[in-house]
Amino acid sequence: MNTDNCITLENVAIGYSGKVLVKDINFSLKAGEFVVLFGPNGSGKTTLFKTILRIIPPIQGSIRYGDGHPTRFGYVPQRQFLDEIYPFTVEEVVLMGTFGQAKPFCPTPKTNRVWIEQCLKDVGMLDLRKKLFSELSGGQKQRILIARALATRPNVLLLDEPITGIDIIAQKKIIELITELHKKRRLTIMMVTHEVHHIPSWVNKIIHIHHYKVVLGSLEEIISLSRIDEIPTEG
Amino acid sequence: MEQFLEIINPHFLLRNAFYAGLIVGFVCPQVGIFFVLRRMILLGIALPQVSNAGITFAFLLCTVGWHFFPHIESEKAMALTGSVVFTLIAIFALAILERKRKGFTENRIGFTYALAGAASILFVSWNPYGQTEVLSLLRGEIVSIPDIYLWSMLAIYGTIFICLVGFHRNFVLVSYDTDMAITLGKRVNLWDILLYLIIGIVISFGVMTVGPLVIFGFLLIPAITARMITRGILPFCIVSSVIGTAASFIGFYISYRFDLPTGPTDIAVLCIILALLYIGKILVRLKR
Repeated sequence: MNTDNCITLENVAIGYSGKVLVKDINFSLKAGEFVVLFGPNGSGKTTLFKTILRIIPPIQGSIRYGDGHPTRFGYVPQRQFLDEIYPFTVEEVVLMGTFGQAKPFCPTPKTNRVWIEQCLKDVGMLDLRKKLFSELSGGQKQRILIARALATRPNVLLLDEPITGIDIIAQKKIIELITELHKKRRLTIMMVTHEVHHIPSWVNKIIHIHHYKVVLGSLEEIISLSRIDEIPTEG
Repeated sequence: MEQFLEIINPHFLLRNAFYAGLIVGFVCPQVGIFFVLRRMILLGIALPQVSNAGITFAFLLCTVGWHFFPHIESEKAMALTGSVVFTLIAIFALAILERKRKGFTENRIGFTYALAGAASILFVSWNPYGQTEVLSLLRGEIVSIPDIYLWSMLAIYGTIFICLVGFHRNFVLVSYDTDMAITLGKRVNLWDILLYLIIGIVISFGVMTVGPLVIFGFLLIPAITARMITRGILPFCIVSSVIGTAASFIGFYISYRFDLPTGPTDIAVLCIILALLYIGKILVRLKR
């Protein structure tokens, strides 16, 4: 058994309310790897992602975390699912990352405030800390959500469609930021995307959900699989 | 000025009504912020109506000689029980249906509102003895509040306020980003149940004291107003309560001075504050 595995899925079936969406999922994430979870819309990427995050229980099979070492997740959701009615400042959004350890009835410790400033600095957003989160652009929001995930002091960072719906320059900057975090902090990263051109060429592993089956492969293999799907069938 | 000094005098005859209004004005907006942020405003209309149906039902039972608490004389204890039971059943039933995504939220809440409203009127019409009291409750005429009732209100609303402040981070996180809350190890269902319990108790106790109209107003208008003028969740919470308390104070003064029913006056004051701040906000924007 490889002791470097930080997440191992064995014969996992995922879905909602007992209905299986994808089954026979077997793969593992090694510590420090950059993995992309790729597939078309509605293929079950987010369901698999949420199953790994323990948000949805697996219908079948088992998921092992850490091989003895505690796994702490940094979760970056799709920003459009966060309601803009909440009048949060950037600082307050990032502070949420520290709520896992926060004790009720106690004010936020100074160390947490210093820590979130550091996280904001790491994503280049310290200047905007007093701004309202809802007033930011898509790319800026994404950076703030990455800072919030970093505030949880994770060893695994999971990002759900982090560059969907933002302009090309912002997309490039986000990918650069994620790459830098991966290299600098040695974080294990899993990124979900439905667009093949969003996948950086140097990623360690691509998990492709193809016709409700999980396929592991290189970028070239995934591109060729996607192209096969684009060929119109006769009859 | 004379009336103002009279109101703040500790021996003022209607002091309990005045204090009860201030408590409602201070605590209700803290619950109301979750109605606004979770986009449950319609629920804020329906639940006080359900609570009212519970009160009228309890009064009806009392009149026909059926008591929950045969050894207690007061009808108020029975009415409060009716209010709490009806509100909690409604809020949990609606929450379960919401989670199971059965039908549309607006349809369910609209149906609940119509049913509770009709039931309240029918229970009152079948109960000639309770009519006066229930109708004054519906109109929001906060006049006679016994000492014991004020103290129990202070204890309950005080506990709720402490819970809301102490568990603020958990309530906000669970409301804003459930998935994130789960990844941080929070028990989302537990926090949701606690929040619904708090909402149920605040509404049922508040409706008993000041009526459904006033409770609805104090739950929503201060939070909507504060949302408009604040930046950040902490100022939002503080300003909501400040607006609620100020409106309650000013509303009571005006109703006493001009002999008007307190509840509707409070709501009118809240609406005026909302309108003034909205105009102020537009003017500030135009100046920039």
